[in-house]
Amino acid sequence: MAREVAIIWWVMCGFSALVLVVISALWIHAMRRPHRTYSPAQAKRWHGFWIIGGGIVLPTASVVLLLIFGIPAGQHMLVLPVEGQQPLRIEITGHQWWWEVRYPDSGVVTANQLHLPAGQPVDLTVTSADVIHSFWVPRLGGKIDMVPGHHNQIRLQADEPGKHRGQCAEFCGTQHSRMVLYVEAHAPNDFARWIEARQERQIAPPPEPAGSLFVERCGICHSVAGISQGQRAPDLSDLGSRPTLGSGVLVNDSGAILRWLQEHQRLKPGTGMPSTDDVAPAELETIARWLEGLAP
Amino acid sequence: MSAPDTTRQPATDPEQLRDDFNAVWGNPRGWRALTIVNHTTIGLRFMVTGAVFFLIGGLLAMLIRTQLALPEQDIIAPDLYNQLFTMHGTVMMFLFAVPMMEGLAVYLIPKMIGARDLVFPRLSALGYYCYLFGGIILCSSMLWDIAPKAGWFMYTPLSSAAHTPGMNSDFWLLGITFVEISAVSAGVELVVSILRTRAPGMALNKMPIYAWYILVMAMMIVVGFPPLILGSILLELERAAGLPFFDVARGGDPVLWQHLFWLFGHPEVYIIFLPAAGIVSTLLPVFCQRPLVGYRWVVLGILTTGFISFGLWVHHMFTVGIPHLAQAFFSAASMLVAIPTGVQVFAWLATLWLGRPVYHVPMLWLVGFLIIFVCGGLTGVMLALVPFDWQVHDTHFVVAHMHYVLVGGMFFPLLAGLYHWLPHFSGRMPSERLGKWGFWLVFIGFNLTFLIMHWTGLMGMPRRIYTYETGLGWDMPNLVSSVGSFIMAAGIATVLLDIVLHFRFGQPAPENPWNADTLEWATCLPPSAYNFVSLPAVKGRHPLWDDPDLPRSIAAGEHSLAVIDHGRRETWGTDPLTGKPREIIHLPGNSWWPLIASLFIGVVCISLLVKVYPLAAVASIAAIIVLLRWSWENGAHPLAAPDAKVQPGDPPLHSRTQDGPGLWGMAVTLLANGALYLALLFGWFYLWTVSPNWQVPETQVFSPWLLLASALLLSLAYAWQRRALLRLRRGDDQGLAGHLWLTAALGLGHVALLLACLLGSELAPRSSAHDAVVTVMLVYSLLHGALACVLSALQALRVGYGYVSARSPYEPLVVEQWWGYSLCVLWVSFVALVLFPPTFGGG
Amino acid sequence: MRHLRSPYNPIHIPLGFIIWSLWFVALYGGLSVACEVAAPPAEAAQWTWLNALLLAGTLAIVVLLAALTHGFWRASQRARQRPKERFVAWTAAGVNAIAALACVFIALPILSMPPCL
Repeated sequence: MAREVAIIWWVMCGFSALVLVVISALWIHAMRRPHRTYSPAQAKRWHGFWIIGGGIVLPTASVVLLLIFGIPAGQHMLVLPVEGQQPLRIEITGHQWWWEVRYPDSGVVTANQLHLPAGQPVDLTVTSADVIHSFWVPRLGGKIDMVPGHHNQIRLQADEPGKHRGQCAEFCGTQHSRMVLYVEAHAPNDFARWIEARQERQIAPPPEPAGSLFVERCGICHSVAGISQGQRAPDLSDLGSRPTLGSGVLVNDSGAILRWLQEHQRLKPGTGMPSTDDVAPAELETIARWLEGLAP
Repeated sequence: MSAPDTTRQPATDPEQLRDDFNAVWGNPRGWRALTIVNHTTIGLRFMVTGAVFFLIGGLLAMLIRTQLALPEQDIIAPDLYNQLFTMHGTVMMFLFAVPMMEGLAVYLIPKMIGARDLVFPRLSALGYYCYLFGGIILCSSMLWDIAPKAGWFMYTPLSSAAHTPGMNSDFWLLGITFVEISAVSAGVELVVSILRTRAPGMALNKMPIYAWYILVMAMMIVVGFPPLILGSILLELERAAGLPFFDVARGGDPVLWQHLFWLFGHPEVYIIFLPAAGIVSTLLPVFCQRPLVGYRWVVLGILTTGFISFGLWVHHMFTVGIPHLAQAFFSAASMLVAIPTGVQVFAWLATLWLGRPVYHVPMLWLVGFLIIFVCGGLTGVMLALVPFDWQVHDTHFVVAHMHYVLVGGMFFPLLAGLYHWLPHFSGRMPSERLGKWGFWLVFIGFNLTFLIMHWTGLMGMPRRIYTYETGLGWDMPNLVSSVGSFIMAAGIATVLLDIVLHFRFGQPAPENPWNADTLEWATCLPPSAYNFVSLPAVKGRHPLWDDPDLPRSIAAGEHSLAVIDHGRRETWGTDPLTGKPREIIHLPGNSWWPLIASLFIGVVCISLLVKVYPLAAVASIAAIIVLLRWSWENGAHPLAAPDAKVQPGDPPLHSRTQDGPGLWGMAVTLLANGALYLALLFGWFYLWTVSPNWQVPETQVFSPWLLLASALLLSLAYAWQRRALLRLRRGDDQGLAGHLWLTAALGLGHVALLLACLLGSELAPRSSAHDAVVTVMLVYSLLHGALACVLSALQALRVGYGYVSARSPYEPLVVEQWWGYSLCVLWVSFVALVLFPPTFGGG
Repeated sequence: MRHLRSPYNPIHIPLGFIIWSLWFVALYGGLSVACEVAAPPAEAAQWTWLNALLLAGTLAIVVLLAALTHGFWRASQRARQRPKERFVAWTAAGVNAIAALACVFIALPILSMPPCL
């Protein structure tokens, strides 16, 4: 899909560059060439030549061609019915400023990362929990807005396994810039394993007193499978396996979770997560270490 | 009606004539300068104010580019950055581009069409003050760090109270609505002036091409701005009073805002571009010393652009999830609009080809315009292609495209025009050297900034982000853009310096310095407040090329309306097609009313902002009283037209006819009003079909019978008045006052019934979008009915004073249109609210 | 002012575009409403009653606009010696012709796309 658009782009770009150069050159030539006197009949011929030929025929032919070649290119992103096996469905919900990703067929929930099988079409249903966001993975294709109350659909296909970057494209408030989605396309078997690892997991809570602290303080907004059910903030069940924290703010290497827990308001000003300054450092460390371990 | 005497009259002493005219038309100094209504002064004020806002907007852009110059910078905090880009867009669009173009048109149009002033001079003054105060209110928000920050497009729900608490969005909604009063009033005035006050003999096919551009632009403003005004009112009602038009949970839909916004927003681009293209079409023939090639084709192109551009709005919304076939319609229409522009580009090329081009600084800006604008137009056609748009929508590619179109299509021609008309503003010629430096710095800086920005966007950089990570390939192009933007800023500073210096050091301009063809160069330089001592008859499209002696003969009073001892400000009222004089329009003079009225409107705006509603109510009433008081000294009032005598052979004063400019002004105003109402109606049907949680109450929440009774009573009032006015048209004013009183009384009954319907209803406008829209529609009719009553009652009073009679039947005919409009609206509302729902699954 | 029905009344200049606007609103509005109320199945691709209806409506409007173009063109030919009248009729004919072409061009996608996806 993205490749088709790229081809369209290069054709249009070449053609436009040609038109621009020719028109500018004609214009400058017309200004510089020695003046000639024209009889009214000659002048009339020139009028016709420029206005009908240049002004009407040229642009009309161009846009007709463009429409004929351009419209079919968009058909692939339509969610048309397909024969045989139905495409994988994924539901993505935009939040200020993070992505909620659900796989309804398997019940897997994650956040700020989108994993999908390569080489087959995937149907995404997108919506928003607050303001309008826009789902966009430049390498995979066009964008689609996430509008509260609406459920827009788009069909994407990653041809090869690989990692991509997605970013919210519709201005959505203070941290619009920090709403990045990590996208990874897997070979179908790897994808099946990825899903399987997240299904039916038993997660042990962190040791007390951090355990109850987590449920009381974090669990109100965050959910972790079997431990807490918060809905306002990203699901943390596989946090340790995610490549970034805070929707692309911080690389999730060793110690990053603790840093996020301590400094998130400085790293991502305006984020909805309240300050943790009143939590004892030891408890924070315990929680951070536990979260790092949530990596199926 | 007798033909006027436009032949040459015996010359009087030009000096004496000038003094006599100055006594009537002259501009006062000191504080009283605030009362000036003259179009030359108002136009200049518009332009100077616009230039100041341009510099403010430019400064904001510099801050944006500073922040984005390098990755991961934190010079500017995210929320501040969001304020910056929101205000940059808002200031440039609403406070610079449109008012600047309107200001230039206000300045030029009467001079070009051979009139002494615009047709509603006091309205021009009101428009200017609304613009000034609205702009100041809006910009003042930046001083307290509470500027709007939801983007210049104010998409809900981000701009709604839940997600942007505080006054930020209110500043935008109220300030911009205030400014739009100015835009629409200037639009109405320009339309009527162009259609009705052209020089004798200036038929439609002999109008200067610039007047065609402005006519279409003004019509587009009249029809295009109301949807946004409505949207702003609805969103402000949602924010301040909780009426949920755009809230999904309560049956609204945020996408409705986008429709209303872009219904305005796309025509807006052409509202800015058309007058600029008009400058190009005016200047090129002058610098080629030959008429514009393909006048008729260009006119056709302007009209096509004006209409088709209303069918493009959805191309800003290709990603919101509208059915693809519908997108394809808009895609095709968007490509189509390239054709009329192509016609103009080639008409200009042909003019150059066949002409004898001479080089001056304005020409340089015209060449710059062509290159940049054609580039922007070509990327525009690309964006019209839906799959490509999905890819680059909301990226820096669009930022680049839009700046190519707007800076290329508006700023460059504006500068060309500015240099061209400088002798008009100052009486001095522009310099050559500094002007060229300025041009090249701007041209190079602009292309450096924005050409590479296409690439930045294709690399995936979204718009409106305050920073970006390194390593995405965005670092270098952003740095180049920032460097370029500073070069461009230096260029603009150079141009500014050049213009300021020229006022001091420029060579005094000779008469008609560029040997131009249009009448604005027949005034003295700089022009007097009345433009022309005598108004010449026009025989061709190029009056000054046809008769180079015009400036002298005009000043010598050898043409028509050269008499001033009656103390009236006069200009011709002519036939829209042929330009044959039909009446003498007497124009109102300087006045405090526009300033006072706009001050009260400003108080309304501020008190709504700080949520002191009682004050807002008081100030609204005060503003209405001031406006009505202002209207009192009109028509046949002794202060407006001391006596009705005219020169033998001249047609009568417009206030003594049945068809004056006010009639046309009211018609065009109602067109704007109708556009607003249609947008509301669109909202009703839109929500009904599309809104995800739309809820229709089980039973009718208001009494349809009361609404029906109210509509019937209004019909009766209208019919009664119409009968009386038909008699008046035939010259019979027997019992006119009584009929008008009765009309007002019947109208009052209609208002009372409507009020009963509204108050007795079970409408819950805060809990459902359905009820909110119904409430707004009923209140809309209520306000119209109430105003109609007041106007007719005032007319009845005026009959008593003798201002309205069979001899001066003009005013009630103007008021009658308002009644007719109110009547249509109420019946349409009745159909939409009462008859439509059952056919569409409603209660 | 001339009589309203005279082809030389300048009020007719924008006539073609006003018809075009109404057609455009009907096209977009009709499509949107039809898709909400009775969307044809996606499998039918472009071969649906809705596409046929939109196409038929467009055709009717195009015929009307073509007839108007013809009428105004003839009027402009009759007024060869009267430049003001000729200008009005010529421009009105041009506007109608452009409106007709615009209808055809904008309606092209109906031939190739499913209506409600």
